[in-house]
Amino acid sequence: MNKLFTKKSSIFCFIFIPIIFLWHPNWLGFLGVQPYWPLFWLLPWSMINGSMNGLIFGLFLGLILDSLTLDNNFTQIPGLILCGILFGRIKLHSDILVGHFRHGLICSFGSFLCGTLYFLQILFRNFSDLSFLLFIPALKNILAEVFLTGLFAPFICSQLLIIFKFSKRKLH
Amino acid sequence: MLDVRRISTSRWWHKKKSWFFFGIFVFLVFVRISKGSFYKDFYYFISKPFWPGQFQKELILKSIDQESLVKLNLLKKDNVRLRKILSLQESSSKENISAAVISRKTGGWWRQIILNKGSKDGVEIGNIVIGPGGLLGRVNDTSLFTSSVTLITSPESKLGVWVDRIQINGLLVGLGDDLPSLILYSKDADIKVGDFVSSSPASTLLPPNIPIGIVQSIDKTLKSKKTAKILLLAKPQVIDWVQILKVNI
Repeated sequence: MNKLFTKKSSIFCFIFIPIIFLWHPNWLGFLGVQPYWPLFWLLPWSMINGSMNGLIFGLFLGLILDSLTLDNNFTQIPGLILCGILFGRIKLHSDILVGHFRHGLICSFGSFLCGTLYFLQILFRNFSDLSFLLFIPALKNILAEVFLTGLFAPFICSQLLIIFKFSKRKLH
Repeated sequence: MLDVRRISTSRWWHKKKSWFFFGIFVFLVFVRISKGSFYKDFYYFISKPFWPGQFQKELILKSIDQESLVKLNLLKKDNVRLRKILSLQESSSKENISAAVISRKTGGWWRQIILNKGSKDGVEIGNIVIGPGGLLGRVNDTSLFTSSVTLITSPESKLGVWVDRIQINGLLVGLGDDLPSLILYSKDADIKVGDFVSSSPASTLLPPNIPIGIVQSIDKTLKSKKTAKILLLAKPQVIDWVQILKVNI
């Protein structure tokens, strides 16, 4: 059982993402906004397994999260796919301290990308009836999300990276 | 010499007694100038427990409550009867389902709550969810045991609402922010801060007369449109129990 867990730890963590996305712990939030959880998993996964895997699992994550949220008009898939591809091109770094900061920065950038793509969809949808200017205050959602994601990424991503690396070494 | 000194120490201002009387005199002058207000206030506090009507007030308040309850029920009945005559939508539904909130996302882009009653309990897509304060949102999806509710603040949500004071219909648009926007398609609508917004009698999604919110601020007029920010009466971030209204529209 223990062996199975170490081998498949990345998959177990993958299952955990939608749950934490739904759980939405308020005490972790800032201005009522949560960090963008899927990136914490996607970053180490893509860094280890490359762009192609990043793309595929970005798509999977997007599909799952879209099914959990009710928004039929807006989707998180493009942002997550783009992040998956980008993260796959990043090389692993040997220096641990630099690695921590890098994870934070990369995750903030990723969440900025996802948030912006989502916001653009909302704008585009409401472009026709000229009320899109009303949506400007919602930009604070993006900023809060970027800040929180950057803050938590060094703690979570680095841990996940170690776990995933470990499980991969065991497999070979 | 000693005797002379003793005499000089026993002047009237050296006696405690005379100062005492002087104090009383000053006090009485104060009472006279203040026309006895001190006495009256003192009497007010002393006599407070013996006032008539303490008990009476409670009784009257209670009967007023009962009166308004009876009136409310009568008006409700009347309303239903008149609506039937005019074949309008029914505002009071026969069946309400109470449900607990098991997951809430009230910040960021995704604004929804998940309830612990699903299609098993008879919840259907399109049902209205209200909490203490008023409207929260609409059921957008049901599973066997749960149902998901799109909140009014979600960017997905667009509802027809009614501003009662100026008798005008508007559109309530969620922005992914805590304050949704009210759009009035009329340049000279006389909307003011503090106006009450309820669900529109003309809406096809909602039953009429459900309280929604209060106008908090009014934005600049944009191309023959007036927009205002609405402060919601029901606070989805703190509500734990909600009611699902089954309405046939």
